[in-house]
Amino acid sequence: MKDPSTPMSEDNLQAHQTGNTAEQTMERLIFSLSELEHLGQTLISGHSNFNHSSKTYLRITLGTLQVTRGAILRYHPTRQNLEVVAASPDQVFSPITVEQSEIEGLLQNPFIEKANLPECLEPLFARTANFAKTIDIRLWVPLKIQDEFLGMIGLGSFLGREALETWEMELLTTLAHQISIAIAYSQMVEGVQSEKFRLFMLAESAPQICQLLQPEAAAEQVVHQAVSLLDANAGALMLTHPERQELEMHYTFPETLVESSTTDSGPDQTAQVSIDLRDDVPDGEETPVSLETTSVDMLKSVVKEGLPGHCPPQSDTLFGGKNLMAVPIPGRDGDILGILVVGDKEERGGMIAPFNDEDVILLDSFAKQAGVAIENAHLHQEALEARQLQAEMEEARKIQVNLIPETLPHIPGYEIAGHYEPRGPVGGDYYDCIALPTGHWGLAIADVSGKGMQAALLMATLRAGLISELSRGNGIVEEDAAQNDPGISALYAELIEMALTLNSLLYASGTEEKYATFFYSHLNPETDVLTTLNAGHNPPLLIKKDGTCKWLGEEIGGIPLGMFPNDMVPNIAEYEAENVRLTSGDVVVYYTDGVTETVNIEDEYYEEDRLVEDSKACKDLDAEGIRKYIHDAVMGFQGEADQFDDLTLLILRKQ
Amino acid sequence: MLDKFDIQIREAEEHAVIETAGYLNDALGEQLAEKAQELIQNGCTQLVINLEKTTLINSIGISILIEIIEALGEREGSLNFCGLSATQERTFRMMAIAKYAGIFPDEESAIANL
Repeated sequence: MKDPSTPMSEDNLQAHQTGNTAEQTMERLIFSLSELEHLGQTLISGHSNFNHSSKTYLRITLGTLQVTRGAILRYHPTRQNLEVVAASPDQVFSPITVEQSEIEGLLQNPFIEKANLPECLEPLFARTANFAKTIDIRLWVPLKIQDEFLGMIGLGSFLGREALETWEMELLTTLAHQISIAIAYSQMVEGVQSEKFRLFMLAESAPQICQLLQPEAAAEQVVHQAVSLLDANAGALMLTHPERQELEMHYTFPETLVESSTTDSGPDQTAQVSIDLRDDVPDGEETPVSLETTSVDMLKSVVKEGLPGHCPPQSDTLFGGKNLMAVPIPGRDGDILGILVVGDKEERGGMIAPFNDEDVILLDSFAKQAGVAIENAHLHQEALEARQLQAEMEEARKIQVNLIPETLPHIPGYEIAGHYEPRGPVGGDYYDCIALPTGHWGLAIADVSGKGMQAALLMATLRAGLISELSRGNGIVEEDAAQNDPGISALYAELIEMALTLNSLLYASGTEEKYATFFYSHLNPETDVLTTLNAGHNPPLLIKKDGTCKWLGEEIGGIPLGMFPNDMVPNIAEYEAENVRLTSGDVVVYYTDGVTETVNIEDEYYEEDRLVEDSKACKDLDAEGIRKYIHDAVMGFQGEADQFDDLTLLILRKQ
Repeated sequence: MLDKFDIQIREAEEHAVIETAGYLNDALGEQLAEKAQELIQNGCTQLVINLEKTTLINSIGISILIEIIEALGEREGSLNFCGLSATQERTFRMMAIAKYAGIFPDEESAIANL
C-alpha cells in the first residue's frame, strides 16, 4: 500500500488539487487505521514515550488529512507551558507559556480557526505568533481527556482546498482523541515506571544500607539513597547527640550544600553544623549557623514532634534556599535518632516540583530502614571500640603487673609482705620497697586515678620518677632523724622536695583528671625511725605491740600528686613529713582504698573500723600471716558482691 | 565524586563511548541525552555508555536512558552499558532496560559486543 504520508512531489500536489478519488480516500483511511493500531500496540507495550511517537502521530495525521504542515504541542502542568514535540517542517521551537484561564478557553473549543479566534485566546495565540507563522497554522485542535488539557495539534494549509470537509473534521477529531489517549497513556506509563523504580530502590536499599558497618559510610549511603528515591538534588542527615540537646549534621549531598549557605565556611564546616534543640538557648551559646530561619524551625519541629515537615524555599535557610522535606528517623526503642532531609524534587527540563503526600510516605518508609541501618552501624562501632578497649586494658594490666615487685627484699630486723589483686577494670595501684644506698629503705604505696592504659602509664611514670629521685640521693641523709634536728629537717626537706618533683612530673604527664595518691615511708632500720610523707593517700595503720593504733600521716598535709602545678600547692596543702619510732611487734598496714571500699552484697563498705579490728586480731602473726588474715577478712566480707577497684596491701612488721 | 558532573565522549570509526561522572539526574541526564542525540544525528548508532563514575541514578536519569534506547531503536542502532554497580544492574534488569540494551562489566567487552 502506498504511504500517503510521504512528502508529495509537485505533480502529486497538482493531482491532489484536483480532488481525491474515493479509492485514494479509502487508502488514506486504511493507512491511518493500520498505523494507529501499530502505534497503539507500541504504547501499550509500555516501552515508548509520547515524545518519540509524536512525530509518527503527526505524520499520520498530516498524511491522512492531506495537510502539508503542522505540529503537536504537549502541555506540561508543572512548567505551565506547551512544548513543541513534533513539527513539520522539523524545527526546534521554544516552549510557549500558557495561562490557566487560557486552558479553560481551549477546553471549551473543539476547533480553533486562525481566522476566527475566541477573544479569550488571543493573548495565547499572540505568544505563538512566531511559531504559527513558521508552520502557518490555520486550525488548532485542543488535545484533552475529559477536562484534562493535554496539548494541541495545529494544522497548516490544506492541499487543494480552503477547509477540511466534514468527514475530514470527524476524522481529525478521532485522530486528536487518539493522540490524547497516547499522551495520557504515556504519562501513565512514565508514572508507573517512576513508581516501579522508586519501589524497587526502596526494597533494594534496605539490605544495602544495613550491611554498612561504618557509621560514616551508612550516613553517606542513607543520604544518597534518599536523594535518588525522591528525585531530589540535595539531601542531609542530622543526628541527635545522645547527651547534648543538639541536632548534628553528619552528611550532606552535595558536600558543599551547607558550606555554601554559611558565612564562615571551612573544610570541616559540615561536621560543625549543629542545631540547638533547647527552647531557650542561653546567650553566648549560639550554634555555628544562624537559627533565625524557617528551615531550622521546621527541622527542630520534626525532631521534637516526630512528624514529617515541609519547608518552602527561603533565601536565608540552612540549605541555601531549597524546597525541603524532612522526616524523623526512628530508633528501635521509639526514640528519634535524627532527621533525614531531602531538597528540591526534580522534574524533566530543570523544573523543581513540590514534594507531595506520596513523597512523604516514601521518605518516611525509607527513614525507618535508615534508622535500623544507623543503629546497626553505631552498635558495631561500639562493639569494635569495646574490643579495642579490652585489648588496651590487657596491655595496661601487663604494664601494671610488671611494676609490682614479684618478691620483696629482706630488711634486717623487719618482716615485709605485699599483695596486689586486680579486681575489675585496670586501676593504677602500686607498691614497692626500695633499697637505698645508705642501707635505709623506701616503702611506697600509690593509687593512680582512672583506669586503663592512661592510668597504667601514669603509674609507670610515678615509679620511674620515684626510683630516679631515690637513686640520686634524696632521702638518704644519714643522721638519725629522731634525735638530731638538722637531720630531721634535712630528711623532711628532701622528702618534700621529692614530692614536689613527682607532683610536677605527674602534672606534666597527665590531665586534671589524672593524679595519684601516694604515701612514702623512709625506714632507717638502725634507729627504727619511720619518716613518712602523705600525698592524699589513705593513712596507713600503725598497730603497736600493746594493741593501740595510730593512723600515719593523718594529720599532715599533702594533696595527691599531679592534681595541681607546684606553684599552687602552697595555697592548697603543702607537703609535710613526720616521724614515728617503731618498736618490737609494731605493725604498719599500708593499703589502697580498694580495701576499705570493698562492698558486700548488702552494699555495706568494709571501712577503716573493720580494718582496725581485723588488724588487731592478727597483729601477733608474722607479716605474711597478717597479710593473709586481712586479705581473707576482706574477701570474706565481700562475699559474692562484685568489686571494681584493685586491692593492695603492704605489711611492715618490726620483729 | 558525586558532586562533579562530567561527560566524556570517545568516538571511534564505528562506535562511540559516552562516559558519565556524577549523579545521573535531570541535569546530567539532559546533557547525556543531548550528546547521544548529536552522535545519532551524525550517524553514529553504535553506542556504549560507561557508568563507572556514576554511582547514583534517579528515575529521571532512568527515563532519559530509555529515551536514548528508543532513539537508537528507531535508527536500528544498538546500545551497551558498562561499569554498572550490582544495584544498578539489578535496577536496569527490573526496569527492562536490559531487554533492549546489553550490560557488560567493562568498556572493552561492551564495545566488542555492539
